[in-house]
Amino acid sequence: MHLIKHEIKIDESFYKIEEIRQLTNETFSLKLPRARFAFKAGQHISLGIHGDYQSREYSIYSGENDENLEVLVKEVDNGYFTPKLRKLKTGDLVEIHGPFGKFGMEPKDAETGKFVFIASGTGIAPFRSMVRTYPEIDYTLIHGVRYSTEAYDRHEYASDRYILCSSRDQKGTYTGRLTGYLKDCTFSPETHFYLCGNSDMIFDALEILKDKGFERDQIHCEVYF
Amino acid sequence: MNSNNTKKIAFKTLGCRLNQYETDALVTDFDKAGYQLVGVDESPDVVVVNTCTVTNQSDQKSRTTISQAARANNNAVVVVTGCMANNFKEKLESQDNITFVVENNRKSSILSLVDAHFSGEILHPEQLPQDVFRYEPVRKSLHTRSAVKIQDGCDNFCTFCIIPMVRGRAVSRPVAEVLESVRKTIENGFKEIVITGVNIGRYEDREARFEDLLAQVLEVPGDFRVRISSLEPDGFGDRFVQLFSHPKLMPHLHLCLQSGSEKTLLRMRRMYDVEQFRKTINQFRSVYPEFNFTTDIIVGFPGETDEEFQQTLDAVSEFNFSHVHTFKYSVRKGTRAERMENHIPEKIKTARSAQIRELSEENKLRYYQSLIGKTQKVLVEKATRTKASGYGDLFVPVEFQAKDIQKNTIHTVKLTGLSGEGEKLVLVGELVPN
Ligand SMILES: Cc1cc2nc3c(=O)[nH]c(=O)nc-3n(C[C@H](O)[C@H](O)[C@H](O)COP(=O)(O)OP(=O)(O)OC[C@H]3O[C@@H](n4cnc5c(N)ncnc54)[C@H](O)[C@@H]3O)c2cc1C
Ligand code: SF4
Repeated sequence: MHLIKHEIKIDESFYKIEEIRQLTNETFSLKLPRARFAFKAGQHISLGIHGDYQSREYSIYSGENDENLEVLVKEVDNGYFTPKLRKLKTGDLVEIHGPFGKFGMEPKDAETGKFVFIASGTGIAPFRSMVRTYPEIDYTLIHGVRYSTEAYDRHEYASDRYILCSSRDQKGTYTGRLTGYLKDCTFSPETHFYLCGNSDMIFDALEILKDKGFERDQIHCEVYF
Repeated sequence: MNSNNTKKIAFKTLGCRLNQYETDALVTDFDKAGYQLVGVDESPDVVVVNTCTVTNQSDQKSRTTISQAARANNNAVVVVTGCMANNFKEKLESQDNITFVVENNRKSSILSLVDAHFSGEILHPEQLPQDVFRYEPVRKSLHTRSAVKIQDGCDNFCTFCIIPMVRGRAVSRPVAEVLESVRKTIENGFKEIVITGVNIGRYEDREARFEDLLAQVLEVPGDFRVRISSLEPDGFGDRFVQLFSHPKLMPHLHLCLQSGSEKTLLRMRRMYDVEQFRKTINQFRSVYPEFNFTTDIIVGFPGETDEEFQQTLDAVSEFNFSHVHTFKYSVRKGTRAERMENHIPEKIKTARSAQIRELSEENKLRYYQSLIGKTQKVLVEKATRTKASGYGDLFVPVEFQAKDIQKNTIHTVKLTGLSGEGEKLVLVGELVPN
């Protein structure tokens, strides 16, 4: 009998939490051992808690060459999963599947292209991964938050490349929603746009960029919720 | 149980074309191994139920099918596989009327499991190898056309979809294996091959993308035609459009739009927008004006406003789909959409679904009417002594009068009119002598 055999990679495994970084009252990062985990900047993983049947997707917050695998998590009020994640301690196990997704760029484009990253809240996660992976990348990061304390790890970005739009305090580069800032921007025609965060922000930003004459093919989106 | 040595096996399949293909492949396995294929009502020794869990309705249907099959065949070995086996594994395993629950990635080894059972060996499904492509090319099928599976799994994580959880991440079958399977399937007498998978546009085997694979499939020698099962509208270039000028590749695509509202598409985490979809459709129609597009639409997705639904109606009108597979949104446990706000009442979903259906039927009528006077090459699926029916190149159903025509043969038919209505609308025609 002729049987076609094909090896299937088993992509599930448990990782021990090595460190928890508390970034604000609600937001923290989980640092896991890198082990054999290979991914491309911009991709996400699916994260499970040992003994719980549910899992959630998280963008990878660390760079491709970093020692640890890191994710950035905001605890959602009345959420199912994040309050449980919040309770985990160093040494606890999480289950990881992936990496998944096509949100990202080819290394050669990262070297030569011009990028505008637009993020709301924890939507900054894949961009930190990109910036850490490609230190020479030519980017502007527009980050929309409510309070400027949510400018996670902002010291890691060059100050002329990071634009903080805070809607509820006056401590950002711009006071108001990021879409307000975006409306007044001009970008060169060959810019690649990467949008990440909640779907309402992405919808509004897409409309603004399309109005400015950019093609949908040069705009990449990662919707969180 | 059957007294002579030949064991009888019956299959029940629910859900998508991929499931159908996988059943066909299992039929081939069991047929080769000497099992006799029978109906579920013909006292089989084994019943395999290949389940689906894409909607709540399919869950319910799968459950009913399992209990009916088990009840009617008290002593039979009942094997439950398919997406439901992944999603509700433990629950199914605790049911007395089911002998084995086999997850999707072990499905292709069901023959080994059943053989082991009859020879007295105790084998647990978990001991079966995991391999989603370990299928024989289809030899004996319940259909005239045969699917060739090129890919499994999907990691798009559309917010309504359970597939990434039950079918796992995307894996592609190597080009050489696909071509071998195509050759074997043609050798086995099939005249039409359907390229199948969960998200086949994402095919990737080293350097080869979907278009590259398709180009190679079309170059396999032999008298056969190729169709593509449903496709995600995911960035196709001119090369893909160009491939349809190949006489073997049939001018029909089932491109899943899901919604005509940009906001809804984003909430669904779909990877395209209406404008990109429009571009694809126009690109095809500018080269092949009669090209047939069909689609899937979900109505009543959480938060879908009247205005957003109207945008879907507008899109269905504009894109002239000849058929719309309409789904009323139903919650799948564990998906992101389950946790969204503003779920739509059933009554509104039903009304929206009826509106889409009505529009789709108008489209279909208009499209079929536009084909009258043209010819189609029809692959005959059903034939009586005086009549034959099957699908034309454009994947439109055609009936024609003809004497003693064989099933699984292709005939040129001039389309002369229509018969039936609504879902049952078909084109009728006259045989054009060779
Ligand atoms: C591809 C992808 C990548 C993601 N990456 C990240 C990430 O890097 N960091 C992260 O914190 N989340 C990320 N998310 C969201 C994450 O998967 C969960 O939805 C989130 O952690 C909430 O889970 P929960 O069970 O606590 O909330 P649920 O009980 O599932 O409640 C969901 C509700 O919480 C709100 N919500 C969801 N995510 C957020 C968020 N990040 N900030 C504010 N409100 C939210 C929405 O209103 C949503 O309807 C990502 C989602 C996707 C699809
Ligand atoms: S593309 Fe979306 S709808 Fe299609 S299988 Fe993947 S997740 Fe499901």
